[in-house]
Amino acid sequence: MNALTRTPLRATCARQPNAVFSARYWGGGLLLALALFALLGAWLIEADPNRQNLMASLAPPGGDYLLGADHYGRDLLARLAHGARLSFGLAVLTLLSAAVPGTLLGILAAWRGGITERLLVTLADAVMALPGLLLVLLLIAFSPGHYVPLVLGLSLSLWVEFFRVSRARTATLLIQPHLEAARLLGFGIGYRLRRMVLPEVAAQLPTLCSFALATAVIGISTLSAISVGLRPPTPELGSMIVELLPYYAEAPWLVLLPSLLIVLLVLALQLIGGRINT
Amino acid sequence: MTPVLCIENLQIASAGQVLVDNINLRVEAGRPLTLLGASGSGKSLVMQAVMGTLPAGLDVRGHIGLDGQNLLALSPQQRRALWGRKLALLPQEPWLALDPTMPVQGQVSEVHRLIHRRSKHEAQRLTQQQLDEVGLQQAGQQYPFQLSGGMCQRAAIAITHAADCPVLLADEPTKGLDSALRDSVAARLRHEVNTGRLLFTISHDLDLARRLGGHVGVMRNGRLLEQGDAAQLLQAPQHPYSRRLLAAQPSRWPQRQSREKGDLVLQARGLGKQYGSRTLFEKLDIRLHRGQITAISGPSGCGKTTLGNVLLGLTPPDQGQVQRSAGIAPIRFQKLYQEPPAAFAPRQRLGRAFADLARLHRIPDRAIAALLQRLQLDEALLARRPGEVSGGELQRLALARVLLLQPVLLFADEASSRLDPLSQQQVMQLLLELADERGLAVLLVTHDAALAARTADQTLVLGAPRVRCGDCSTRETDRASA
Repeated sequence: MNALTRTPLRATCARQPNAVFSARYWGGGLLLALALFALLGAWLIEADPNRQNLMASLAPPGGDYLLGADHYGRDLLARLAHGARLSFGLAVLTLLSAAVPGTLLGILAAWRGGITERLLVTLADAVMALPGLLLVLLLIAFSPGHYVPLVLGLSLSLWVEFFRVSRARTATLLIQPHLEAARLLGFGIGYRLRRMVLPEVAAQLPTLCSFALATAVIGISTLSAISVGLRPPTPELGSMIVELLPYYAEAPWLVLLPSLLIVLLVLALQLIGGRINT
Repeated sequence: MTPVLCIENLQIASAGQVLVDNINLRVEAGRPLTLLGASGSGKSLVMQAVMGTLPAGLDVRGHIGLDGQNLLALSPQQRRALWGRKLALLPQEPWLALDPTMPVQGQVSEVHRLIHRRSKHEAQRLTQQQLDEVGLQQAGQQYPFQLSGGMCQRAAIAITHAADCPVLLADEPTKGLDSALRDSVAARLRHEVNTGRLLFTISHDLDLARRLGGHVGVMRNGRLLEQGDAAQLLQAPQHPYSRRLLAAQPSRWPQRQSREKGDLVLQARGLGKQYGSRTLFEKLDIRLHRGQITAISGPSGCGKTTLGNVLLGLTPPDQGQVQRSAGIAPIRFQKLYQEPPAAFAPRQRLGRAFADLARLHRIPDRAIAALLQRLQLDEALLARRPGEVSGGELQRLALARVLLLQPVLLFADEASSRLDPLSQQQVMQLLLELADERGLAVLLVTHDAALAARTADQTLVLGAPRVRCGDCSTRETDRASA
């Protein structure tokens, strides 16, 4: 768009706030509902997700089992609630271990410049060049079936985005007049980074965070589905899908429900993420 | 029938509060309209009402007639259909409004292709013609960031030519341009009028209004105080506010009395600086004394700000050296910035900025309160963020902030060029008064020759930068000795 049409277009966008708000509210509402299900579900539903009852194998929804039971007769609702809690928990853990160091290293790189920056940028580029899955597989080889290498491996590939965005934002901020003014006024580098750079960088994070969370959720279930991440009998959404796939003809809901849960979780995160900055 | 744009009984209100009221104006062919007024006077709202880009939630009443249609009665879609076909907008500060990712040529030709649906070949031919008209035939392949402010302005004009609209709305067309470019923009707009376009300009530049001629209106607080023939109104305004506005132009300021030179604050010997292959200045000797105002002036891009930054120690010189007098704390060398909002952290409340500064340097609250009062600033402003305060107030707050540190040298980098004439006068007057009271050495970088002439004790004029020149085109005039 050029000078002639740009201003009016922006004004038109501003005039339709409803479209923007509704997507964000839908995403927020959905996420809240899923979070409540994950947090409270596992606690409210008293059924043990691992208790087998072979008499109830592949029981249809309704009756004793609200959402039916799987091939070992385990309560699907309980397994879904525990699975959602696990997905949420691991995704948040992954996010924290990616976002905090990523952002701080980005600020550090832009502020220090020189050799520090070059080393960090090279490292980030090297990580980007490796397929994310490879890193995780490498780490998991040390301690299979455990969640720590899973989380570490995923954050090792996710921190790069945080690093890049915060480095770029900090670099443009550091040459702004208000930072020069602050230096002339005698404020030390600690104050300038904490009070002037960090709030601006933090403003960019919500979008990145929600996308990173979505990536983490997908990553965890994908890895568990190919039996590299968490393994049965842990109620993990990805491994549940694969475990129940053979029974698709008799009990399709057993496969569809965990899949739907993943889709909704990722959808909610994408909906709020895409809209936060507008 | 000659086209006419007429605004009748325009009223704009927001949640019961009337922002603009009772506006009656008329633009005819050959008789451009210029609305003058300080920022916040409501002139931008009037232009947005004509264009149809008012923010949502505003209540508009009245009649805006063009070609027998009432624009205000049209639906948003119908109004949008007029953009680029009947109404063209020349945005303020075009270097920010042009697409940074597209060469100028593409930005002109897309108007032909997308709005007028012309063939590719036809669009190319017309684009070349329009770029020729504004003297940008060589610059078609360039991106906006490769062009100067004046060239961007001309590129924006070429885009409006491509639209070929009968009505041209110009929003602060001279904002941020130096005086030479201001003249050429005025001539360009005058040319638009001569070719029969209806020109509606909003500005706080009285000089521009005089050059455009036609009809002039003066606005304040959403009311039209006065309107009339440009030559007449700008010669002998009736309303007291118009008179104040006129008197606020630097060329009408009283001449400042020159002062005794105080102690030497800083001296520079043999300064030189290159920018790429261009020599900005060379072999420059400058001495700055307390109580003295030194102006650096010259066209944009000549290295005025760079020289100021070199003197303040923010940029190292390529040749020569800057020596501060011994025994002065580094924080007593301070700077005021061109754009007041850029000098404050955008998310930090102003009160927080002042409190942190006071704590850092153990400044008592009394001192802040007294200084704010001296600068005619309301303490309630401190509860706001920088974006919520007017430019004039923010620049005075910036002045207060540096004065708290008892500076000996203050580098004012175009500190008043973005402000409307009244705020500019107020900021400069206070700056000069305080410089006198406190024996402050002031380094004034300005592209406004009149402002430099009225205020400075010594003026340094930098010429346009030369590529590898033999002798430097700088000249020093010391008024005190002349």
